[in-house]
Amino acid sequence: MSVTLLSVATAISQAILGAIGSVLPQPASGAVTNVNTVDGLAALIFAAILLLASMLNTIVLIWWERKLLGRFMDRRGAMHVGYAGLLQNFADGIKLFRKDTVKPREADTLGFWSGPTAYMVTSLIIFAILPVSTGWNSGSLPLSLLLALAVFSFAPLFIFVSAWSSNNKYSLIGGMRSAAQMIAYEVPILLAVVAVVLVSGSFDLQTIVLEQTNYWFWVPLFLALVVFVAGMLAEMERIPFDLPEAEAELVEGWNTEYGGMMFAFFMLTDYLRALLGSFLIVLLFLGGWTMPGWVPAAATSFPLAGIFWFMLKVYIVFTVFVWIRASLPRVRTDQLLRVGWNRMVPLALLSVVLAALLVTVKCLPVLGCIPTLGG
Amino acid sequence: MSEMWINMGPQHPMTHGLWNLRVHVDGEMVLDVDPEMGYLHRGIEKISEDRHYNEVVTLMDRCCYVAGLAWEHLYILSAEQALGIRPPERAEWIRVMSEEFQRLGSHLMWYAAFVQDIGLMAPFLYGMRDRDLVLDLFQSYTGARMTYEYMRVGGVRNDLPNGFTDQSRKVCDWLIDRFEEYDRLCLASAIFHKRCDGLGKMSRADCVAYGVTGPMLRSAGSKRDLRKDRPYSAYDRVEFDVATADGADVTARYLVRMEEMRQSVRIIRQALDWLDKNPGPVMAARVPRWLGAPYAPIGNEGYLLKRNYPKGLGLSAIEEPHGEAQAYIVNDGGEHPYRVKFRSPVFANISAAKKYLVGYRIADIPPIMGSVDVCVGECDR
Repeated sequence: MSVTLLSVATAISQAILGAIGSVLPQPASGAVTNVNTVDGLAALIFAAILLLASMLNTIVLIWWERKLLGRFMDRRGAMHVGYAGLLQNFADGIKLFRKDTVKPREADTLGFWSGPTAYMVTSLIIFAILPVSTGWNSGSLPLSLLLALAVFSFAPLFIFVSAWSSNNKYSLIGGMRSAAQMIAYEVPILLAVVAVVLVSGSFDLQTIVLEQTNYWFWVPLFLALVVFVAGMLAEMERIPFDLPEAEAELVEGWNTEYGGMMFAFFMLTDYLRALLGSFLIVLLFLGGWTMPGWVPAAATSFPLAGIFWFMLKVYIVFTVFVWIRASLPRVRTDQLLRVGWNRMVPLALLSVVLAALLVTVKCLPVLGCIPTLGG
Repeated sequence: MSEMWINMGPQHPMTHGLWNLRVHVDGEMVLDVDPEMGYLHRGIEKISEDRHYNEVVTLMDRCCYVAGLAWEHLYILSAEQALGIRPPERAEWIRVMSEEFQRLGSHLMWYAAFVQDIGLMAPFLYGMRDRDLVLDLFQSYTGARMTYEYMRVGGVRNDLPNGFTDQSRKVCDWLIDRFEEYDRLCLASAIFHKRCDGLGKMSRADCVAYGVTGPMLRSAGSKRDLRKDRPYSAYDRVEFDVATADGADVTARYLVRMEEMRQSVRIIRQALDWLDKNPGPVMAARVPRWLGAPYAPIGNEGYLLKRNYPKGLGLSAIEEPHGEAQAYIVNDGGEHPYRVKFRSPVFANISAAKKYLVGYRIADIPPIMGSVDVCVGECDR
């Protein structure tokens, strides 16, 4: 696929600036249509498209979770606003947007406002790094995986800042739990990623996906997948690992004091991170946008087929998360940390060793010969 | 993090009602607790002194909002004793059936709230859904889903509608199947056992010392159940087993309540069979006329002259869904009770909070308090 997101953005930018330049007098029109202006506007358009796409996906994701959870609970979920409640989240968003955000008098102003903002922004940045089909990203980012994970792990800091600055005991305990949990699960996640990197030989997400044309990495790296999914559940703070906002004991955990649009920010960012987690799982273990060879060529060659299959996989992964949420109780903080350090880290180390073995004995190409996996 | 006091309540997801649990924590550990009750005090005992005997039934529904019929039954037993009135046998069987359905409703509500406390989302609505079937049955013969005002001194307000027993049997069959599903959702989960086993230990001796009754006492291995030990109404004519467990922890209380629901279904089936075979009156033939005027103006002393009615005392105790409830009524010959006193099992169960909460973690408080099954309405009265 030759059309990249940046080339689309550049074309739009050229069209807009060209139209403006044609009506302006000479010196101004030259400045408007020069390469730097076009590129600058193109970058803005690129960001706007990404923002819009990720937000739209997040809102659809929330809708999908509400519908699925409804079915799991023997009810129908949102039904009234829009077809099958599709517009319910927009209605909720508008309602939250119109609400006043009350800052507690004793809260720290800077931390209280900047915490949620930074939390959301750092989560959004990652969307610019993750490829969703061949050529989606402009140029190649040799360390995109590392960059994505690094930005992804900023979150505990901002959660802790907003929790501490709200000056609320529930927020503080929730923030503590959140920080402890995310740090505990950062280690196994990174180790699981090391296994992927060993097998693929690259930190570039695009290369990692293209390496999976013959076989998806979950087959040789099943252990790493298990560790990664469990770690991602903890990073996304979803049941069974949603202790930081365990509503039964901590009201809303670290975002107890936030209302109105700030609460919407947190909510949206939680789902943004759920989307990001699903993205990463699909990219690292489920072949990204590639499909096995037995899928007919017509199904993989239509326009935007890569994005279609990628998003389909993402939504399937997310459905599994919802399923887990509907059927599991919540674990306790000390149990969670014990599982993290005592079980997940050794398992992740084992998966690294297995990956290293697979690479050294060079048995990986054999997997490509199995018809159900091969491309 | 240094030591601090946290107020869990009066508005907190854990409380399931309006009360405040003050918790002294060090990090995640609970060092001390101090339950504060009284946010829902409505002076029901005092109001009762200014009402006719049948009008107090209205207050009983408000007393415990998940077990209204059980509290009506408690009050009526005491009032009948104080007034010296015997209900017909059919009314007693209807009361037994009502109390057992109420136990089902209350325990289903408890199940829903309890699984929600440990983070299980879907079973929460399963419990609520199945409780609705019980509420539908109540609606069919009392006309209300929550505040029934059904029992009267000397019997019950009206007989069961046509087809009620068949519909009830269907509900019982459905519920028995659902209990298996509930157990699979909870007991089959390793996380459930991690969260609940060995939590909130309350030994049998402690229970006796603190006056803790009901499922909490039976979860410590005691076979104490007033329906067996001191049968009232028609309970001496039904067969059932007292549910007990040995763990004295949250899981044991779960097991006791699930088994109690199965036993309730067993009792209901026997009661339905009896009711099918024995039609008859549901109200005593000779009841003082002024008792039959439930909506007389309150406090209007000139409206009905005080009758020279025999004086008496009434003391009743029933096995309410939360534990042993008692009612004490002094009848001084007037048309209002002279004094009404209730003993709420929940109040005693919460008062022992220090015994079963201290030494565990903050995250353990919701499951433990969930297993206590708090109903603030009857606790504060």
